[in-house]
Amino acid sequence: MDGLINALYSIPVAGVLFQLAGYLVNVVPDISPLILQAATPIALAALCGVMCERAGVVNIGIEGIMITAAFVGWYSGVLLVPVLGTTAIGPFGMSLALVVALGVALASGVVISALHAWLSISVRADQIISGTIINIAAFGLTGYLNNLIAKTSPNGAGAFTQFRPPREVTDIPVIGWILNMFLNQGPIAMSVIVLVVIFQILLFRSRWGLRSRAVGEHPRAAETVGIDVIRVRYRNVLIGGVFAALGGAYLSMEATNSFQQGMTTGRGFIGLAAMIVGRWSPVGAFGAALLFSSSTALGNSIKFSPPSGDLGTILTSLPDQVYDALPYLVTIVILAGVVGRSIPPAADGQAYEREAAT
Amino acid sequence: MRTRFPGLALLVGLAIIASACTSASSPSASAAPSAANPCAGATAHSGGTHVFPTDKTKWKIGVTTDVGTVNDKNFNEYTFNGAKQAAAALGAAVPPVVVPKDASELAKNIQGFVNQNFDIIVTAGFNNGQATTCAAHANPDIWFIGVDQGPPCVTPDGQPDGAFKCAGDAKTLLPKYVAISFQEDQAGYLAGMAAATMSKSGTLGAIGGITLCGPCVRYIQGFQLGAQKVNPNSVLKVAWVTTSDFTKAFNDPTTGKNFGAQFITQNKPDVLFQVAGKTGNGILDAACDASILGIGVDVDQALSYPNAAKCTLTSAEKKLLLATSTDIANIVAGTQKGGDDHWDAKRDGIGYSPFHDLESKIPSGLKAQLDAAFAAMKAGTLKTCPDKCGDISTLPK
Repeated sequence: MDGLINALYSIPVAGVLFQLAGYLVNVVPDISPLILQAATPIALAALCGVMCERAGVVNIGIEGIMITAAFVGWYSGVLLVPVLGTTAIGPFGMSLALVVALGVALASGVVISALHAWLSISVRADQIISGTIINIAAFGLTGYLNNLIAKTSPNGAGAFTQFRPPREVTDIPVIGWILNMFLNQGPIAMSVIVLVVIFQILLFRSRWGLRSRAVGEHPRAAETVGIDVIRVRYRNVLIGGVFAALGGAYLSMEATNSFQQGMTTGRGFIGLAAMIVGRWSPVGAFGAALLFSSSTALGNSIKFSPPSGDLGTILTSLPDQVYDALPYLVTIVILAGVVGRSIPPAADGQAYEREAAT
Repeated sequence: MRTRFPGLALLVGLAIIASACTSASSPSASAAPSAANPCAGATAHSGGTHVFPTDKTKWKIGVTTDVGTVNDKNFNEYTFNGAKQAAAALGAAVPPVVVPKDASELAKNIQGFVNQNFDIIVTAGFNNGQATTCAAHANPDIWFIGVDQGPPCVTPDGQPDGAFKCAGDAKTLLPKYVAISFQEDQAGYLAGMAAATMSKSGTLGAIGGITLCGPCVRYIQGFQLGAQKVNPNSVLKVAWVTTSDFTKAFNDPTTGKNFGAQFITQNKPDVLFQVAGKTGNGILDAACDASILGIGVDVDQALSYPNAAKCTLTSAEKKLLLATSTDIANIVAGTQKGGDDHWDAKRDGIGYSPFHDLESKIPSGLKAQLDAAFAAMKAGTLKTCPDKCGDISTLPK
């Protein structure tokens, strides 16, 4: 075995790769829960994108839905705490106020999505424009209301706390760190993997999924076999709204306990990129979100504790900007077709008009 | 046609991100003014040379804040309170205050006060720097106080210098523009002493928002020297949230919390100093989650960010209220000069915040030590910044 290792070191490239693998094995288990946390809002945004676009509706307004839900959730918490108190009623530091506020946040996401659905499905407005309007309005409105209402910068209803898995679980060899990654989380981050798996199965194995995809690929054909295209599209956009709102609520109710103007900082759009990289499938999008967040985390890791040896010399000599750009470089490489072409649903972004019954 | 929509969608997305970035409430060192004229829109007031009232109760003082809210327990609030206090001392009217909806309104709000012939216009925060310089250039006969905007950097013709060559002499070019600056390294030094005293492991951390932020570098440089003064064996780990993105650096608590948590996991500090604005609020959250101590920045963060008060040891403070109110009083008294108005320990311009909830855990000698260091700063006998002050290369990784 030693002989093999020495042989590997004698070839510089192999040696560096070997060191890289060793470094990853060393650092990734420690930071794996953080990688999932950073991926959570992106993955939820991507899931919203998948829901909408699989049924043929482009949703650029994800960012706007997220910021709205982040604001509404946080501010409902502020209003509800005096009424409902902060007594914990369940795991994850759940109080009645917090749970109700989350419900309100999700409802706000549905409302905004309904607006997008109405504009792009019923009114048949340009879907890009409709989404853009939602983004601009949501940013302006939440910023304005935040200025107006939150003069005393009140506390929200608290944040969902993380579950801490026992050491016996996280210390299990080989898979302990993966369990830690998915269990050492708050409820929203933990729910992502569940949602992704469920909707992957539903989308490709259920009647609803088949209908959604049919509507997204060829609505006219779907209509001729008796599928109500308008209804399917509405339903999918509204479900998507719940996901995006959950991503927004994550920012102000789980990751932090506060709202900042513009706190989504482009996560909705990165979610759309994750959706495309993941080829419009929930699992693919989740994987892409993880890829983005782990490249950021790895960049940070190299800054915090650089590896030793040749690899360390190489990595630390690169300017910091390279690591900032890493997620975007990964996106460009993937979109350039390195891992095959990413093809959207055929009717994506096209309004559907029933043939007039004369 | 098929692939058009995702591409177009991303393009629109990028455009919006880009516009969000430019309007973010963060120091705009990136303010390479878009080509032509950075001062378009800044015009002179009407009615000839401005005449200041002889009756000091008739002075008209206006405040324009940075993006956010007035009562933010941060730059906006303490600047406004400073102006209010000064006006009350003069017997003048309570200063009106305007809050911009986004960065595009900063200049408009200042111009509003100019058009109404105000005598003193106070603008809060680094973000207002360019707009204030422009207004001062167009109106050399009225007073401007720019809080945290010094030293002013202007071109030889008195315009804001996006290239940061600072060839012009602001004192003579803009004689009534008072650009307040603070000695961040002194405040950082006091925080560093407190941190090293409270640290059990001797490993300290500091996280700055963006590498381009000179004041952030000085805070951390002072922090390092202060920590070494108390414990020469203490180790300081420094990291920067980003090298390029101002929104991420100062306005994204979610990123801050994630970044801070990873920093704590990998570097294992037991006291963590944040110099990253609202992104830093997330860093304080991460410190609380990891059961270590955090140190706030600029204002008393146990008050400005009560979420993390239980683990916020103290904050490296700029005395915004004192600087603003004193300068207004000096202007009315006729003793204030324009240019860089520097606030250091000598003028009580910096300090450390009370320990609040953690008071009972503080060793008895710490306050005396901090006060002694502060006295030495006042006397000018304490070096709080390395020779290359503001140079990021002096900091450890």
